[in-house]
Amino acid sequence: MAVAASTLERPRSRSVRAEHIVDLPVMTTLNTDPRALFEEQAIPFLDQLYGAALRMTRNPADAQDLVQETFVKAYSAFAQFEQGTNLKAWLYRILTNTFINVYRKKQRDPYQGTTSDLEDWQLGNAESATATGTSSRSAEAEAIDHLPDSAVKDALQSIPEDFRLAVYLADVEGFSYQEIADIMKTPVGTVMSRLHRGRRLLRGLLTEYAEGRGIPVPSKESVGAKSTKTSTPPPATRARQKKTTPAGSTAAGSKGSTT
Amino acid sequence: MTDCGCTKAKAELEEYLHNELESHDAADIREHLAGCSDCSSELHIGVVLTEAVQRACKEIAPEQLRDQVLFNIRQIQSTH
Repeated sequence: MAVAASTLERPRSRSVRAEHIVDLPVMTTLNTDPRALFEEQAIPFLDQLYGAALRMTRNPADAQDLVQETFVKAYSAFAQFEQGTNLKAWLYRILTNTFINVYRKKQRDPYQGTTSDLEDWQLGNAESATATGTSSRSAEAEAIDHLPDSAVKDALQSIPEDFRLAVYLADVEGFSYQEIADIMKTPVGTVMSRLHRGRRLLRGLLTEYAEGRGIPVPSKESVGAKSTKTSTPPPATRARQKKTTPAGSTAAGSKGSTT
Repeated sequence: MTDCGCTKAKAELEEYLHNELESHDAADIREHLAGCSDCSSELHIGVVLTEAVQRACKEIAPEQLRDQVLFNIRQIQSTH
C-alpha cells in the first residue's frame, strides 16, 4: 500500500503513459517482459482479427497466414505502440496494411475494389428489392433477421472489398468513422460513402436472398410462402426484434450494444 | 425543410445508428423517430442489418493458429 500511495501522490498532470514508464519497477499490474505483455494484451484480439482476416481474404488458409503475419509485425513493432492508446485499432491498422500490401496482390481473384460501374449496377438491383412502406419495411426487417449466417456471409463476400471492410469495421468491430478512416487511410467522407453503399448493397442482396428462399418479401406480397423458412429464431428473439423504437434508441444510446 | 423532418432524419439515420452524431443532432433524430413510423421502420431495418452482420461474423480462430502465433512470437524473442 505504501508503494501505491506514493504513486498516487505524484502529480497526475502528464499522461498516464509517462507515469507508467517512470513507475515501471513498482507497477506490478504492468508486465515488464515485452513478450508477456504482448501476449496478455494483443493475443485476446486473435479471434476478432481472424474474423476480419476471413472477411478480407475470403478463405481460411490466407486468413490464417494474414493473422500470423499481422502478429509477427505487431510484436516486432510493439515497442512503438504507446501504452494507453487503442491497441485494437493499432492491430487493425497492421492487419489492414498487411492485407492491402501483401495479400490483395496475391489473391487469385482480381482486385475487388470499388468499380463505379459495378457499384451503380449492383446498387440499382439492390435498391429495387428494398421496401418503401412502413409495414413492408417491418416485413423486410423480419426477413433479414431470419436469414442464416451463411447467407449474410455470402452477401458480404460478394460486395466490393472496400465496402465490405468499411461495413465490417463499423458494424462488427464498432470502430468510429474516424478510426476506420485511420485504418483504411481514407478521409472520413469516403468511409461514410463506403459504409452507406456497402450497407445498401447488403440490404438489397439479403432481401433478394430472402425472396429467393420464399421468406415473406415486402414488396412482392408473397405472404403465403412461409413454409420454406428455415431459420426461425426462438420466440423471445422474434419478440425483441419487433420492438422497433426501443431497438433504435438502444442503438443510438450505446455503441457497444449494436456494433 | 419542406417536410416534417424525414429528409434530415433519413439522411442522418446511418450516422445516428453508428452513434456518430453530436448529441443535439441525435436528440433531434430521436424526437423525430418517436413520432414517425416511416423513419423508425427504416432505422429498424438498419439495426436488424447490423445485428445480422454481427451474428454472421462471429469467428473463433483455430487452436492451431493460436499455437502458431504464440510459437512465432517466442521464436522472434529468442533470436533477439
